Amino acid sequence: MTLQRCVSPEAPVAAAATIALGQRAEGTGIRIGILDNSKANADHLLQFLLDAAGGSLPISATVKRRKPAASRPAAAEIVEDLARETDFVLSAMAD
Amino acid sequence: MNGAIDKLLAEPGAAFEAEDDSEAAFEYCMQRGWSDGLPVVLPTTERVERMLAYCDRPWDQPVAMLAPRFGAATPLRLAANAVMAGCRPEYFPLVVLAIEAMADEPFNLYGIQATTHPCAPLVIVNGPGATELGMNSGHSALGAGNRANATIGRAVRLSLVNIGGAIPGLGDMCTYGDPTKFTYCAAENEAANPWQPLHVERGFAREATTVTVIAAEPPHNVNDHESYTAAGLLTMIAGTIASTGQNNTYYASEPVVLLSPEHAATIAGDGYSKQALKEFLFEHGRVPIRKFSPENIERRFRGKLAHRYGDAELDTPVAMVERAEDFIVVVIGGAGKHSAYIPTFGNTHAITRALKHADGSLVKSIAGLRRN
Repeated sequence: MTLQRCVSPEAPVAAAATIALGQRAEGTGIRIGILDNSKANADHLLQFLLDAAGGSLPISATVKRRKPAASRPAAAEIVEDLARETDFVLSAMAD
Repeated sequence: MNGAIDKLLAEPGAAFEAEDDSEAAFEYCMQRGWSDGLPVVLPTTERVERMLAYCDRPWDQPVAMLAPRFGAATPLRLAANAVMAGCRPEYFPLVVLAIEAMADEPFNLYGIQATTHPCAPLVIVNGPGATELGMNSGHSALGAGNRANATIGRAVRLSLVNIGGAIPGLGDMCTYGDPTKFTYCAAENEAANPWQPLHVERGFAREATTVTVIAAEPPHNVNDHESYTAAGLLTMIAGTIASTGQNNTYYASEPVVLLSPEHAATIAGDGYSKQALKEFLFEHGRVPIRKFSPENIERRFRGKLAHRYGDAELDTPVAMVERAEDFIVVVIGGAGKHSAYIPTFGNTHAITRALKHADGSLVKSIAGLRRN
């Protein structure tokens, strides 16, 4: 049977800013943001991840923010703070 | 139009090659995580191009960015998902319209896609387009058997997974899943609706074809073969609404009351307007705080909701909506004395969109959208 040309139904995952992150890792260090979604154990889980990352990444700063409800987007000022003050953000979804 | 699609597929990953054999196509798509677990139609360029004959906008320009992946929902990709779902090409405008509606910020697609809660977008179609497409609004409208209902809803779901990244266990963290995540779409039974149909109530012209998207749980049946008055029926519906385990007890927003034609006729026959029945349900569909567990009273009502219930007596009734008009009332179904209550995700608002031409005028005939 011959092959048919088809259209992919899938959207690619947005490219991560790996180059900028790599440059910062070699220079002044990485600023990590934490966005706690306020679910029961989100703060603990994110702290575990942060602690683990600290063992292998040159972290220069940590910025923690908490949104009041898991089911709503973070307020614009929180997003702006994280965008301005961090290089990447660890976020929680669902539980 | 032949071959117009090819120049849009230059991007790496935009196209693939596969055997157009039903079993092989199913296996191929399953291996790539593109199916919902049921067989799909292979989205060949020829089939996708036929689907796009009903799309009057640029095929490679996003109509929405779908969370949580924030993938670009281009007509091209949506058409591929519609082909896979089994849509006829004339269904495609409603698939695009539903996707656009879900990307409206108040719908809160990110939360709906990622949540542990069992919700899925319920697509309700109103207006002449539903009739033109042969959609089912009667017996088993939310069940199986009608191609338009089944495949429009399925195309929406496949798009949410393949473009939005709502992959079970990765981007969709729904605890136990939900059968409406295969498809959840029906037309309103406007002929049996004694009041304004949903889209007219929400400010659209009767001759508009609309979709309303609602982040809904599966329906919970209300069996009432005994009541023959509006007050009797509404008491039974209110009793079903008043339950403790739903999101609407703490995120009050737009749960759905689905009335069968017979129940709707009984309620309207007693002189109730749609607003009057909503007010009845608002007043009576409540749960006293004492019905919740002590832990929920302490942590939810005295904690997170302290601004509303911090000092409330245990007999204080908790309503499922903030205002009576927040209930969404639709008439769907055939003969029989079964209605339904459909709770929602909570932090969400239903969105209604009308099918329009590029110049903003209402589409009067979906067949008229077809380009040669």
